[in-house]
Amino acid sequence: MADQDILTTLKILIIGESGVGKSSLLLRFTDDTFDPEQSATIGVDFKVKPISIDGNTAKLAIWDTAGQERFRTLTPSYYRGAQGVILVYDVTKRSTFAKLDMWLNELDTYSTKTDVVKMLVGNKIDKEKIEVNREEGLKFARRHAMLFIEASAKTKDGVQCAFEELVQKIIQTPGLWEMDQRSQGAFSVSNQRTEEEAYCGYCSVL
Amino acid sequence: MEMADPLDDVCSPEDLKGFEKVYNEELCKGEVSSKAQFNYACFLVRSKYPADIQRGVVLLEELYKHPDEIGKRDYVYYLAIGNARLKEYQIALKYLKGLLRVEPSNRQVLELEASIKKRMENEALKGAAIAGGAVLGLGVLVGLGVALSKRN
Repeated sequence: MADQDILTTLKILIIGESGVGKSSLLLRFTDDTFDPEQSATIGVDFKVKPISIDGNTAKLAIWDTAGQERFRTLTPSYYRGAQGVILVYDVTKRSTFAKLDMWLNELDTYSTKTDVVKMLVGNKIDKEKIEVNREEGLKFARRHAMLFIEASAKTKDGVQCAFEELVQKIIQTPGLWEMDQRSQGAFSVSNQRTEEEAYCGYCSVL
Repeated sequence: MEMADPLDDVCSPEDLKGFEKVYNEELCKGEVSSKAQFNYACFLVRSKYPADIQRGVVLLEELYKHPDEIGKRDYVYYLAIGNARLKEYQIALKYLKGLLRVEPSNRQVLELEASIKKRMENEALKGAAIAGGAVLGLGVLVGLGVALSKRN
């Protein structure tokens, strides 16, 4: 993709407990792959991917942080400048849901943008043994003014949606991002809901 | 899709300072925890100054030598990053080879390996271009000399 077509570059962060599927969500989104044996991330990993929303293309720089405890002091330095955050828990493991408050706290402490857009993702809905139901996730998200979606990196369910919704919300938030100097012309937020957007909207809260 | 290069990830000097402070405080007390040392080293190897990177590599090597460290895998990964950023590509690749022996399909490690190999290739090309340029320059000089001597 030619650089001049890119409207802006957005920094997205993925956080959450170890083993909830942060890297798997990222790889499903960027490479459309899934590795059931995904190894634990060392420090941080990052990927760049363009995304088109309402005919405009934004470049996403997505930072996938290690969830393991020993990286806890290391990863906050990556929070700086993030416009969007994807907070992930595992719907089959209540302990990862219980830790969400801690992660939000962490985010409030270290993020430099006060109006950073947050998306809560309940991952692994393909599994049978669900410990956290959708209502609980939705309630938590609503209480903390977050977007919400249940997803499965394994089956692709909700993954594309999670990123699209997040980016759309960032673009609609004034002052959260700046247009790349190279890009030409103005960006207008269209009110027209595309088919995909309507589909995505069904389980988000604003 | 555009590749994101882990070797381009440079830390901010403020972050580095913060972790340096913690490390030095522990050092003054006489015992540095492996956590403080690891945090500091992770930022050192991502500094833009080679002297910092070198220091980070030394600290990581120290950690790696500890007999029962659970974070060996992390130390090795950052040792590879540090060495690659010092252009010690062969050493970096050796560390990654060790990691891949345990986790042959670790994508993060494979991607770092690919980005190191790409750098080696680019630098080899650049070296060849410089050498080529030198030969070309020499050719011109010789040609000029021949032309001049013919004129005389």
